[in-house]
Amino acid sequence: MKKIEAIIKSFKLDDVKEGLNSIGVKGLTVSEVKGFGRQRGHKEIYRGAEYQVDFVPKIKIEVVMEDKLVAEAVKLIREKAMTGQIGDGKIFIIPVDEVIRIRTGEKGEDAI
Amino acid sequence: MNNPSYHLNKALHHSPAAQLVSAGSPVETLKKAREDLVADFLEGKVSFSFQEEYSEIMDYYFRMTLQESRAGEALFRKGIPFALVAVGGYGRNELCLYSDIDILILFNKNIPPQAKALAEEIFYPLWDIGMELGYGVRTVKDCLSLSKDDFEVLTSLIDIRFICGDSPLYLKLAEEFQKKVIRKSASSFVKWLYELNKVRMTTFGDASHLLEPNLKEGIGGLRDYHHILWMAKAFLDVKEPEELEQLAKFSPDEYKDLKDCVRFIHLVRNHLHQLSGRKNDRLVFEYQEKIARRLGYRNQPKFPAVEQFLGRLHSGMESVKTLHRSFLSIHAPQRRRDTGNTTDREVSGGIHMSDNELNFASNSLIINDPCIMMEIFEAGCRLGLPLSLEARRQVKKFSYLVDDDFMRSQRAFRAFLNIMNDPNTVDTLDQMFETGFLDAYIPEFGAIRDRVQFDAYHIFPVGRHVLETVANLKSLPKEKDLFLFETFADIKNSEHLFLAGLFHDIGKSGKGHARRGAQIARAILERMGYPENWIEEIAFHITHHLLLAETATRRDLDDEKIIIHTARIIGDIDRLKALYLLTWADSKATGPRAWNEWAANLVQDLFFKTLHILESGELATPDSSQTISRLKARLRRRTAENISHVDFERLFDLMPTRYKLSTASADIIRHMEMVLRFKEEVSRGDAIPFILDVKEDKTGGFWQVSFVGRDRPGLFSDIAGVMALNSINILSSNIYTWRNGDAVDIFYVTKPLDRLHPHATWEKVESLLKGAFSGKISLAQRLAQKAEPSVLTEAGKPRHPPAVVIDNHSSDFFTIIEVFASDRIGLLYLITHTLFELELDIRIAKIGMKGDQTADVFYVRDLEGQKVEDEGRVNEIKNSLLYQLSGDKQPLRPDQIASG
Repeated sequence: MKKIEAIIKSFKLDDVKEGLNSIGVKGLTVSEVKGFGRQRGHKEIYRGAEYQVDFVPKIKIEVVMEDKLVAEAVKLIREKAMTGQIGDGKIFIIPVDEVIRIRTGEKGEDAI
Repeated sequence: MNNPSYHLNKALHHSPAAQLVSAGSPVETLKKAREDLVADFLEGKVSFSFQEEYSEIMDYYFRMTLQESRAGEALFRKGIPFALVAVGGYGRNELCLYSDIDILILFNKNIPPQAKALAEEIFYPLWDIGMELGYGVRTVKDCLSLSKDDFEVLTSLIDIRFICGDSPLYLKLAEEFQKKVIRKSASSFVKWLYELNKVRMTTFGDASHLLEPNLKEGIGGLRDYHHILWMAKAFLDVKEPEELEQLAKFSPDEYKDLKDCVRFIHLVRNHLHQLSGRKNDRLVFEYQEKIARRLGYRNQPKFPAVEQFLGRLHSGMESVKTLHRSFLSIHAPQRRRDTGNTTDREVSGGIHMSDNELNFASNSLIINDPCIMMEIFEAGCRLGLPLSLEARRQVKKFSYLVDDDFMRSQRAFRAFLNIMNDPNTVDTLDQMFETGFLDAYIPEFGAIRDRVQFDAYHIFPVGRHVLETVANLKSLPKEKDLFLFETFADIKNSEHLFLAGLFHDIGKSGKGHARRGAQIARAILERMGYPENWIEEIAFHITHHLLLAETATRRDLDDEKIIIHTARIIGDIDRLKALYLLTWADSKATGPRAWNEWAANLVQDLFFKTLHILESGELATPDSSQTISRLKARLRRRTAENISHVDFERLFDLMPTRYKLSTASADIIRHMEMVLRFKEEVSRGDAIPFILDVKEDKTGGFWQVSFVGRDRPGLFSDIAGVMALNSINILSSNIYTWRNGDAVDIFYVTKPLDRLHPHATWEKVESLLKGAFSGKISLAQRLAQKAEPSVLTEAGKPRHPPAVVIDNHSSDFFTIIEVFASDRIGLLYLITHTLFELELDIRIAKIGMKGDQTADVFYVRDLEGQKVEDEGRVNEIKNSLLYQLSGDKQPLRPDQIASG
């Protein structure tokens, strides 16, 4: 099992969600996050003064799936989240040791 | 009467649900029944009936659960009516193995507090065994108002089916839905379906979706069938699919065809679900071969099982698509183009026009004079009008009348030629293709129409590909690209070109299809009575339809011998132009990997060089010493300001002749400056072993990389390795050693992945090259790391065994080694490194595609600068390359050694 963490542009969330749904991903967690990458934030001018905006708001998706879905899921996230501009985000793939469903105590792939 | 168990009896009459009454709790029963069903399915005991049996098992589960449900009993006692209703695919009894179960708990006016407990009792066990549910708990009113606003809900309710509970309540919903929603929203619903269809065409019509079709949403997939059903239910009061035949006016054959195809697609889909272990409607490469085997297809000589299977699937989806399209055009409201031309009138003998469609005057007419079938197509083509559905049916039905006399009939042939020469050819050919009339008239075409090539390169089955090729040729008069437009305008007889387009792949049922195709086309055209000398012309185009593309991507176009050879084969300018257009149309119809800017540039280059020879004659090719002295004068003029006279003379003398003859002046000037800078930095003692210069070619979509450094063996493979590490593909390269021992190499490569910061990539390339040259970096090890199988590697792409061909004839100065292998990271490094170990000196490299393999072509010499002609050495080269390329390094099979 793997966990995919994807940082994406906020307005791409719906597309990505729909895409993942279409390949049978059964659930995902979304959080609003802030951070910076290559663009190192950007400057904004407000009432004449320049403010350094260090962190850019993004959406983080976390989703756990069996290994054989990962390739397709990653391809899909890239397809759906890409604008070709700076700040399209990143995808991380992390091994997952175990998953337990709290209500039933099921483990492993059954619990995803 | 409202007792849920009342309705149980029905299910008990059927198998396998009937055998499972006693298997414990409802969910246990369900699990067991589902497992048994899958086992039966895999053993082949259950095939087409899977969906219905599975739906029945689900029905049984819901009835049992409701019977045991406490909340259900409480509701029953209180006299609150409710019903379980199947909707969507479940409503249609079309459950595939991992389909969502769409279910509705229906209440009358209000949702009582017990509803939550009821839903939990019914749904939780299903979730716990990992089933996907699409569920709702709604009142009748909710259902109606939701479906008015959201047509997705409407489509699911259109397929509503009662499972258990209070049947009057269900009937109330069904009636009101029909009365209040369907009748009122029908036309906006159909508009919505139209829009949906357009979106589907754009999303699922592209190349990747043709290679790995989506069985549900794809063009010709189950959705097309659902659309037919929905529209029939909305407009024609069809209740069950079986009524389509009478009410929707499908002919018995059409209905049977539709039913067969849908059944087949369902069968494939169930296998796909089972193999994927989840809901998956995309028939990815990985499973195509397995499913073919499971469905009983067996490899035949030159016709692998998987290609037979894909051919059947494509033709099935093609049928569904056609039926869907004609159904839309017949039954959709406002379908007519409003030309006000609705009166029935005769357009030519026995052919009538009404409602802007063409019809036969009568059946007997066709029987007495079958040729009229060709003439109705001709009339349709001329007038730009389609045949009516009825007329298409008649053509289909009477196609058997196309006998030998018909095929030899001059009247039919004239009509056929008129169609080929008309601007509307494509629409008409499409109708001839779909009705099967084209197969009847040209049986040789029927033999190849559904051939599919199992690779990631050919996106269409052969029949479709041929129609696409003709469509491309037909688009030339409206082509925006001026070069193509004018070339087409120059063609003396475009009819030859169109016929060549139609027949170019007619031999596609084995190796050497071009030559075979020419023979077959010759026989067809002779039968039709085409003039002999014109047949030769068309046969010529078919025989050589790959000549330009193959020569351009695999041979050194700066080698005069190659150009002269090409010119000799082609022989005259008109033929060259036609062949160029055929190459363009054919490649474009093959798929995006066969035609891109790079390939287009190469073919155009070859075209102009060949044209030049044909225009001025072989002997008129300028004497190379004259060319060189003219080049020298031109270069001197242009470098006067930057390069001293002494330096210029010295540098010009250092250049090898081949370099002078095949490098653009602008590039030569850049290289001269680079060589000077290199010399200066070396003399200053800077530790710079090379200079790199990159330049983007915006129009061509690639980069040109020039390299100047000390020449040394293995240089090429080091550069190839570093490029691979940066995910850059080399497209072609020219390697030169100047007389002072400097390497001056030119590489044409793909764009760096990071389009926004390409120079960051080039800096990395430079530093990696430094590392590799100084031995600080092991390229082999880094490449192996990069290529390590990861979770992201896509499984199951079709693979073909590698092949090596060694050619000592095409060039006077070089041995040409062609290597065909499936692409992978570091492939070029591996090959060039092997060549380096074999003490071969690579001078020119061209990297192209052959099918979905890469075709790497190298012009090499031995270290003495001679061609490699010793047979033992040639075999050694072949075998070591094949050994390196067989991924698992197993000893070679004899057929691999023999290949090429």
